[in-house]
Formats: sequence, structure tokens, C-alpha cells
Amino acid sequence: MGFTANGLPIDTSIKIEKSKAAKKAELNRNVVAYSFIAPNFIGFAVFTLVPIVFAFALAFMNWNGNTEMTWAGLDNFKYIFTNEMFLASLKNTFVYTIGTVPLTLIVSLFLAIVLNQKIRGRNFFRTVSFFPYVGSLVAVTAVWNMLFNPSMGPVNEILIRLGVDDPPRWIADNDWAMFTIILFSVWKYMGYYMVIYLAGLQGINSELYEAASIDGVNTWQKFWYVTLPQLRNTTFFILIMLTIQCFKVYDIVYMLAGAGSGALSQSTTVLVYEIYNSAFRYWRLGVASAEALVLFAIVLVVTIIQFRLDKE
Amino acid sequence: MKKALAVFLIALAAVTSVFANGGSESTSGDGTTTLTWAVWDYATTPYYDALINAYEAANPDVNIEVIDLGSADYQTALQIQLSGGGSDFDVVAVKDIPGYNNLVKAGLLQDLTPLAERDGVDTAAYGGIVEQVSVDGKFYELPFRSDFWVIFYNKDLFDAAGVPYPDNDMTFEEYDQIARAVTSGSGASKVYGAHYHTWRSAIQLFGILDGQHQITDGGDYSYLKPYYEMALAQQADGIVQDYATLKTSNIHYTGVFYNQSVAMMNMGSWFIASLIAANQSGQSDAQNWGIVKYPHAEGVEPGTTLGTITALAIPTGTDQTEAAWDFVKFVCGTEGAEALAATGNFPAVTNDEINNIIASMDGFPQDEQSKEALNVAQLYLEMPLHDKSAEIEVVLNEFHDQIMTGNMSVDDGLAEMGRRVDQVLAN
Amino acid sequence: MMIESNGQKVLKVLLYVFLILMAAIMLLPFLWMLSASLKEDRDVFTFPIQWIPAEPRWQNYSDIWTRIPLLTYILNTVKLTIIVTLLQLFTSSFAAYAFSKLRFKGKNALFLGYIATIAVPWQAYMVPQFMMLRGMGLNNTHLAIIILQAFSAFGVFMMKQFYEGVPTELCEAARIDGMTEYGIYAKIMLPLAKPALSTLTIFTFVNTWNDFLGPYIYLTRDNLKTIQLGLRSFIGQYSSEYGLIMAGSVVTMIPVLAVFLSLQKYFVEGVASSGLKG
Repeated sequence: MGFTANGLPIDTSIKIEKSKAAKKAELNRNVVAYSFIAPNFIGFAVFTLVPIVFAFALAFMNWNGNTEMTWAGLDNFKYIFTNEMFLASLKNTFVYTIGTVPLTLIVSLFLAIVLNQKIRGRNFFRTVSFFPYVGSLVAVTAVWNMLFNPSMGPVNEILIRLGVDDPPRWIADNDWAMFTIILFSVWKYMGYYMVIYLAGLQGINSELYEAASIDGVNTWQKFWYVTLPQLRNTTFFILIMLTIQCFKVYDIVYMLAGAGSGALSQSTTVLVYEIYNSAFRYWRLGVASAEALVLFAIVLVVTIIQFRLDKE
Repeated sequence: MKKALAVFLIALAAVTSVFANGGSESTSGDGTTTLTWAVWDYATTPYYDALINAYEAANPDVNIEVIDLGSADYQTALQIQLSGGGSDFDVVAVKDIPGYNNLVKAGLLQDLTPLAERDGVDTAAYGGIVEQVSVDGKFYELPFRSDFWVIFYNKDLFDAAGVPYPDNDMTFEEYDQIARAVTSGSGASKVYGAHYHTWRSAIQLFGILDGQHQITDGGDYSYLKPYYEMALAQQADGIVQDYATLKTSNIHYTGVFYNQSVAMMNMGSWFIASLIAANQSGQSDAQNWGIVKYPHAEGVEPGTTLGTITALAIPTGTDQTEAAWDFVKFVCGTEGAEALAATGNFPAVTNDEINNIIASMDGFPQDEQSKEALNVAQLYLEMPLHDKSAEIEVVLNEFHDQIMTGNMSVDDGLAEMGRRVDQVLAN
Repeated sequence: MMIESNGQKVLKVLLYVFLILMAAIMLLPFLWMLSASLKEDRDVFTFPIQWIPAEPRWQNYSDIWTRIPLLTYILNTVKLTIIVTLLQLFTSSFAAYAFSKLRFKGKNALFLGYIATIAVPWQAYMVPQFMMLRGMGLNNTHLAIIILQAFSAFGVFMMKQFYEGVPTELCEAARIDGMTEYGIYAKIMLPLAKPALSTLTIFTFVNTWNDFLGPYIYLTRDNLKTIQLGLRSFIGQYSSEYGLIMAGSVVTMIPVLAVFLSLQKYFVEGVASSGLKG
């Protein structure tokens, strides 16, 4: 038996009843919520989560995909952290991500805002900016490599005509290769993220702009005080997805820098290339898993930081 | 909620029943055996059907079903399919040595040694290749195709430049001089004296032909220096196309030869069949061509060259080992060799007769030199079998690229290459 | 109607100049594809780039249909793409509703877990996944591809972010009116989420349509293969038929662009806001 603040006995029977009802309501609410998640989650858990968990366990094993697994403890991690190529790939992936994320974010937002105006040929321009994303990777990288060809490409021809005596050799030069890849990524993916921003822009209540117009604010202020805050959810989504995508970059680097020899050098190698090599060239699945676990841990930390910053 | 879930489950069940039709079919009930054979480039490679037809004609109760896993990532796809021992392949083609090594290490291929001993297969007929792919005296694949590198040259371009044709006894100095002499023109009409495709084999492996070194040994790679210096000097002088340009513009070696923009090209003998076909279809303008033996260092016998093999193996997962072995014996033996040679490809079992079949093909150059060039004195595999073949090859490729793009000097590149291969070997 | 000042006019001209320049840069690869698709293989990579082939080789466009069973591949791809897109739209928009508008136990942890798994590269768990699905008898079935593509965390995350933009008061009001959560999802959220659903449709469609690795691992039988596998088969060990690859790429890009264009109408200002006025 308990007492309330003013000393009166509490009717415990009522309280129990209430909490029962509350519990039931909560249970009900949970069940409803889970039912929404179930169709996606069950498929995801069985076919993706289970193999991922299995792969993470492999990080502590030696396995070639067929013969018996043996316990490796932390050997795989010791190995990768003394492996020059893996460390180089870590560094390059960071550089690539730091270079690509802000650029893509700004360019795609700019494009989306421009192409959300009532301008002539809007559908045409929108479709065109989506082209590099949907075009076949073979074609897209081929065009890029031809444009930036060190000795015969039009880009360097223009640079020479502009008076640059010794234009960069782009992808063929260790010092320029990563920069070239970043430029390519921004170009290829800005249309993709523009589409997401466009969808986000449709969700902004036009009354907000009308109200702002009455207050006499200029275009820039409208962007700063209405558009940007209203796009916060979209920006957050793009930021996270873009970061993850950058950390997982592989095929474009391989197609651009690995052309010819099929091998990436210390200045262009990226994490997933190392994972691919460990898994499918050397068939050291334990090492590949350890590398993937490192990638996972990094992205998780970055994502949590981004979530925290978003909450503030 | 129940409704939504029910709808979803029904939809899923419907989807499942409609699409769960792939499955794997095994032997049928009417006494015929079906062997499933994993290959690459089935549609564009004429000899698969030639081999299958020959075998099925001799064995009417056997059906060969081909699964094409594509060429680019063939070994990866193959090993994924075989992993865990549960594939439906009975015979698999093996594309390269690192891939073979991975399969053997993972215990995915059957040891063919006892079967070969039982049936008296003469491994000496393969000219030492079987020994080169043996692990602890056991071999897990049998080669059916063996290619070797030669120099292809365009006679019209040599005639136009007034330079005598290369011959079957050519040192590297002579080769370099000829390449320089036959180079001419500029812009669109430029003729390059020689051509190196972007593969490391095209330059790097000149260095192993004296038989003094194994490319997998690591340590001191300075013996490759003269060859890299020759190639880089040729590149700087415009004798060969710039590596970085080739790399970034996907220029394929077939195109430059067909277009008559290169006078000489070192390439594998597989190019003979492609070139003949391209000349006949009009895809190529290089109608007047010839081949000579690979250039050699002083004191090394002409006809010493690089080789690449394509082999057959039997996965451990099959339950039709005997039938599969019979097919392997046929394809890799003399009957298969004849069928293969008739398509202009080089079987692993070689003798004069086989060379005659190829040399008498319609479209093969008529001069004696080209015919003589088919005789190989000594063959070194592009990638010898080594426990760490795959890792080593990645390093060799990386530094070939670094040296040829000029990102590293020859000395630095080779030193790094040695250091990194040593690291691989130490792990 | 406002009267445009000179400054605005200049701005507008600059804007169009920028847009046209941008369009040119974006269109380059497509123009190159078109041009390459009309060339012989050996002329595809010649320098300087010859934008208009001297003798256009229209034959490439007929050859792609006979050299590979392209029609079969297209039908397979269409089938897979439609099923995957529908499943993805349904399961993602459904799950996202709970993550955005409902309170329940373990919500944050579950959500973070979902997103974090996006970070695991497929290469790392491809082998275990393949063995598992093969064990279930799904190797060489289209179902394998459907299963792999249809339940992505990406769609859930994207839909959730868009739902967050819908005022919670709308849901509260509907709840007071006695609507179930399923009703709110179907009658209020979905109609408002048309731009987001369109986006998800486009992305899922493009991803499934262009997917190479999944079909490469799971579909080895000719009657099951997809377009991308067919196009890749023109890249051989000793020669690559780029003319045909590009002709095939041009043809197979058309449906993707059609989907993109047909969903354009949902990217028009005011769709969402008009729904929120009441």
C-alpha cells in the first residue's frame, strides 16, 4: 500500500488496472508497428542479415569457401593492419569520401533548385542530368577516360591552348588519379541525388514561401530560411547514403584506374577493392570479412555521429 | 494488419511457385548421360562445339551441356559456384594458373594422377606442362590448349618502309632496331614499329626467357630492367604507343593490328585464329601478315617463349567422375587435339602433324618462316604455379603499371616490386 | 505578374547558358554511346573521337538480336524489374511508416542496424549468401534475384525521411477520427508520398535493370539470364565487340528513360502542399 503526496491512500486496484490497460495498449502498439516492419524486415533478416552475421563471424576464422574452417582469433586483423595495401586503401577511401560527399551534396542541391524553377525545357534538363547515372558504366567511363586522356584528350588540348604547358596526366598520374576519380563521381552521381532533392522540394509547403514573400525577404533569404531547413530530412538522408556509398566505392575506381593492368596501385586502391581481392582473388574469406568488419565499424561510427548531429 | 499480411504472403507464394522452375537437371532416365561443362565465351569460341561434336559422335549416349560463366571474372564465378562442394558441374575449364591454384588449395578439384596412371595417359606428350601444374607430384587439371607468344608482323607495312621482314632468329637488339626502322608517318597515318598490349606479360616476361629467373621468386627484379628500359625508350621515341593512352582509352590490340597502324606486335598464338577470321570477314585490313619466333637474349635458343594453357578439371562435387574423366581424356588427347587444330587453335598435345593442320589452314601465311615459327623450343608459363600465385600476380601487375605510366622509375618500381613480393611470400 | 528587371533578365540568360553547358556535359556519354553503336569494333576507341561515323553501321542494331537471345534476356529483365520494384515499393513504404510515425520498442536500435548493414559490401557476404540460397534450391531461379533486391534498407530509410516531412498532426487527427494505422498509411501517407514513391520507383527500377553481379552469380542458364549479362558476353577473352555493346546499351536504356519521364509529373511543386492545406 502506498500513499499519495497528501497522505491519502492510493486505490491500488485502479492503478493496477490502469497499468494493465496501458501495457495492453503498448503491446498493441508494438504489434501494429512490427506488422508494418515485418514484410521488409523478415526478407531482409533472412536473406541479408543472416549471411552478414555469418560473414562477421568469419572474420575470426580461416576459410577458403570449401575446406574446414579453422579458428584464427585476431590473426586476420593483425594481418590487415600490417598490410600496406589495406592501410593505403583506408587512407584513399577517406580522401575520396571527404572529397566527394560535400561536392556532390552542393552540386546536386543546386541542380535540384534550378530545375525546380519554372523554366523552359525543364523535363529535358532533368532527364539529361540523370543520364550519367543510368548510362552503362563501360560507356560512361570510356567517355571520361577519352576526354581526360593525357596525351590526346580534348581536356588537355584546351588546357594547352589556354597556356598550361604541362597539363596533368589525370588518371595516369598518382598525384592526380584520386582527384580525377572524385570529379568523375560527382559528375556521375549528381543527377541521382538531384532526383532525391527534387522529391524533397515537392514536400515544402508553398505557403511558407508565400508568407516569406509577404515579409519581403529576398531569394537568398528564402533559400536560407525556408528551403534549407525544410530539406533537412532529405539532406540528412543524402548525407548518410552518400557517405556509405563513398566508403563502398569500387567499380568506378576499378574501371577508371584499373584499366589496362587490372590492378590498382597504392595511390588509387580502395577498401572494397582490397576486400574483393582477399575474397575472390586469394580466397581468404576470413581476411575479407575482417576488412569488411573494419569498413562496417567506420561507417557505423560516422553514421552515429551524423545521427547525433542531426538530433541537435 | 491480417489482411495486409495475408495479401503479402499470397503474393510471395505465387511468386515462388511461378519462378521456382530453374533447378538443376541431372542424368535422364533413358540411359544417356548428361555432362555439364563450365566454360567462358561459348558463343564466340568455335572450338567448344567442335570438341563437343567430336566427342558426342564417338559417344552417342553422352550429352554435353555447356554453361557459360563469362570471360572477365570466370575464375571467380567458377569458384563461387563450386564452393561448398555443391555444384552441378561435371567438367570445368580452368582459365589461368592463379585460379587453378585457388581451386586446388580449396580442395575443389579431383586428383587426376591415379586416373591417368590407371588408363596409361602419356603425360610426356604435353611437353612438360603437366609437371609444371603438378602439386606434390599430383596434377588436378589436364591441359587441352596451349598457346605461345610469337611476333606478328604486317608485310605490307614492312614493304612500304623498305625494311626486310623480321626472321626466326632475332635478338632483342635486332628486334628494337627493326621496330625503329619500320616506324613512319604521323597523325592518322602514323605507323608504329611495335606494339605492347597493356598486359604485364607483353614486356615484363621478356626477362624470364633466359631461364635464369622465376617471376614468383621475389627479391631482386633488376634482371627485368633492360626490357623495361627498351620499352620505355621506344615509347618516348614514338616507336610504340604510349602505355597511359592505351590504358585510358581501352585500345584493343586487335584493332591496331587490323587497322594497319602497327608493323609488329608480340602476342599469343590465339591471335592467329582471330586474325584469319577477321581477314576473311573484312573486319581487318592487315591481309598480308606473317609470324616469326619471339625475340631472344644472346645465347638463348630461338623459339624460347612464353606460354599460357587452358585446361580441364573435374570438380570434387560431381557424382559422374568416370564419365567426366572420359570426356577430359578425349578433349585433352589426340582426338581432341585434331578437332581443336582444325579451328586454328593450338592443342596442348603438340607434334608436327598438328602444326601442319594449322599451317595449312586457309588464310595462314604461306611463307616457310611463319610455318617454322610454330615450332617451340622452350615454353615458360606466363604465371608459374606457386602457392601465392594470385597475390604475386597482383603485385606484378601493379608495378608494371607504375613503371609504364612513368609514376615510378624503373629502378624504384622494380625495387618496390621485389619488396612487396617478398612481403607476400613472408605471409 | 512581376515585371522582370534587367538584372533578372541577365540572370535568366546566365542560367540558360549554364543549363545548356551542363546538358552538353551530361549528354556526352550518351552521344558517344550512340556514335559508338554505329561503328565497327576497331573504330570505337580511335583518336580523335569521330562523333559521326563515316559509314554508320546500322547492322549492329540488328546483330544484337541474333547474336544473343536478347528478347529472352529483355523479358527476363522486365519480369524481374517489375516484381522487384513492386515488392520494394510496398515493403519499404510500409515499414517506413512504422519507423517514422509510430512509437515502439527497439525502434532506434533496429533502424540504426538497418542502415548500418547497407555499409557492408556485398563482396564480403556473397559466398555465405550464395551457399545459403543454393541450399534452399534457389540457385538458377529468378526468385533468388527477387529476394536479394526486394528487401533493401535503402528504400525504408528513404521513405522514412520523406514521411518525417508530413506533419504528425495529420496522423493524430486521423487517429482521433478513429482511423487505424493501416488506414492512415494507405489513405494519408501514400498519397502524400508520391514524389518519394516515384523516386524509389526510379532507383529500384534502374538498379534492378542494370544489376550485373547478382544475375552473374545466380543465373548461369541461358534461359534465365538478363540484359546486362548478355551485354557483358560481348566482352570476350581475346576481343571485345564494343559496337554491339553500345548498340545494346542504347536499346536497353530506352525503358529506363521512359520510366523516368513518365514519373516526371510527380516532381511538380505543390502536389504535397495542396494535400496539407485542409
